[in-house]
Amino acid sequence: MRSNTGRTLIGVALVIAALVLLVVLKDNGQSGTTGTSVPQGGGSEPAGSAGSTKSRKAEVPTIVIRDGKPVGGIAELSYSEGDRIRFKVASDVSDEVHVHGYDLMKDVEAGGSVSFDFPATIEGVFEAELENRGEQILELRVNP
Amino acid sequence: MTSLPFAHALVARQDLPLPVWLFAWGASLVLIASFFALSIGWRSPRFEEEHWRALGEGLSRASASLFTQFVCGALGVFLLGVAVYAGLRGTEAPDRNFALTFLYVTAWLGFPLVSVFLGDVFRPFNPWRAVGRAVGAGFTALAGQRPAHARYPAWLGRWPAALGLIAVVWLEIVYGTSGGVAVGLSPHAAAVASLVYSGYTLAMMALFGVEQWCRTGEVFSVYFGMFGRLGCFGAKDGRLGVRRPLSAATTWATVPGSAAVVIASIATTSFDGAQEGAFKRALESTFNHLVDAGMGLTMALRLTDTIFILLTFAGVALVYLVGVRGMAGVSGAPSFEKLRSGFAHSLIPIAFAYLVAHYFSLFVFQEQAQFTYLLSDPLGTGTTDLFGTASSGIDFRALSANAIWYVQVGALVIGHVIGLTLAHDRATAYWGDYRQAARSQYWMLAVMVAFTCFGLYLLSVANA
Repeated sequence: MRSNTGRTLIGVALVIAALVLLVVLKDNGQSGTTGTSVPQGGGSEPAGSAGSTKSRKAEVPTIVIRDGKPVGGIAELSYSEGDRIRFKVASDVSDEVHVHGYDLMKDVEAGGSVSFDFPATIEGVFEAELENRGEQILELRVNP
Repeated sequence: MTSLPFAHALVARQDLPLPVWLFAWGASLVLIASFFALSIGWRSPRFEEEHWRALGEGLSRASASLFTQFVCGALGVFLLGVAVYAGLRGTEAPDRNFALTFLYVTAWLGFPLVSVFLGDVFRPFNPWRAVGRAVGAGFTALAGQRPAHARYPAWLGRWPAALGLIAVVWLEIVYGTSGGVAVGLSPHAAAVASLVYSGYTLAMMALFGVEQWCRTGEVFSVYFGMFGRLGCFGAKDGRLGVRRPLSAATTWATVPGSAAVVIASIATTSFDGAQEGAFKRALESTFNHLVDAGMGLTMALRLTDTIFILLTFAGVALVYLVGVRGMAGVSGAPSFEKLRSGFAHSLIPIAFAYLVAHYFSLFVFQEQAQFTYLLSDPLGTGTTDLFGTASSGIDFRALSANAIWYVQVGALVIGHVIGLTLAHDRATAYWGDYRQAARSQYWMLAVMVAFTCFGLYLLSVANA
């Protein structure tokens, strides 16, 4: 009985040790990812500092809606936490674009377009849809 | 090629896939913990006895009093009523309506969570049990005798609950489709389903008796009660008491069909996780085949999902039965049938771990809605603000992606260890010889590693 308790304690200690290792390793992993995300940050930084540059504006991804559906299927955009999320929706139908999670809504006219520009503050996978049609047009991904 | 956007009605923020390094660490932890568990294996069962002892007399009397039972039962009936009313009369926007969040998040996910720690807390609040008992008492008073009931067939056991469990999940993730798109269940449909289920349950209670039906047939009693067996509080002969945690689980699966209940739980959660990743391709191709064969979009999507839910159930059952078959080959083993029901309870912690891994973030987010705007404006029509919280929203920043991942992996690893503990304990009870007991457990170890690593895998490919 007593020796079993001892062995159980060793077991618990081992699991805790493994968990500590995990956290340590994870920190290393994270500094690794920050390292790789620096170029990304560098990429979005000029966009912030020189928002008026025309060539930068051309890089804003545009989701084209034809007959109420996204051309080429549901668009996918991926960002890291802290990035600026920018995209444009050009639609041939009038509807309301709703970005879930961030809960942003903007109306779009038939034949018109609407732009989104907001900081990536919430991690996760989100959808944006044409609210009235219930049609998903974008899968937005914000990594930590 | 049609792509299928699978969606719950309520999920506004989906979880990011588990990163590869965390998947690897989770899987290694599982293996280390498993082999360690084998090496420390104790030699005589520790959980077969509940070691139940009564709590203070006053507490027992208060909990068993007619007043307490009436208040709890009435609260259950009232909340079910609010949900049904909101579903019928409220907005069709699923996230703004009290019905869906209350039924499928607060109750469906909340009761397992609380029960795992405390015991069967659903029982006093069970609205159908409350109504059934009230009707029974009324009948006794008027007729001067207790109502007579049909004899419940022993072979039926918990099978009605197992099928019901699949039906409840099916309703939420399969039924709510329109035009080939999974839009999630509508509040109206949820309310109608609740009414249908209420009618069915009350009829069954009238036929077989309230307590009998709650023990074996009523989906929510059986399902929540299953998790409650892990918890440390339990009532005996109307007295409230404390027992050794996990110990009550060892006697849970003695009723036929119990293994099917816990397997259905693991399978339905697996399917829900897999449809966002692991099964996505297979689902799409099956769907396209059915559409090409001339089937309507809605029908094709429902049929595809139904087939895969049943396949998942069969797959999970097969893994378990292979493990049981293996154990039956170890010398000194009891019969296959006895092993099959004898080890089913060791899957309960795994079923709970699956629930946490797949729904933890949804629960945290949706409960914010439950206790703010859904409480103040249950219909979602903007006409009421009962508690002044109608304009509050969900703070999706409440959980970082890392926090979600750690909880997911932690739940799977802990559920795995507890499952192994229960299985090992049962083996020491079934095999007199310690060495044979340990040998039999290589099989259960394989089963559990399979389930846990499959759980980790599902998380790593969901939304990838």
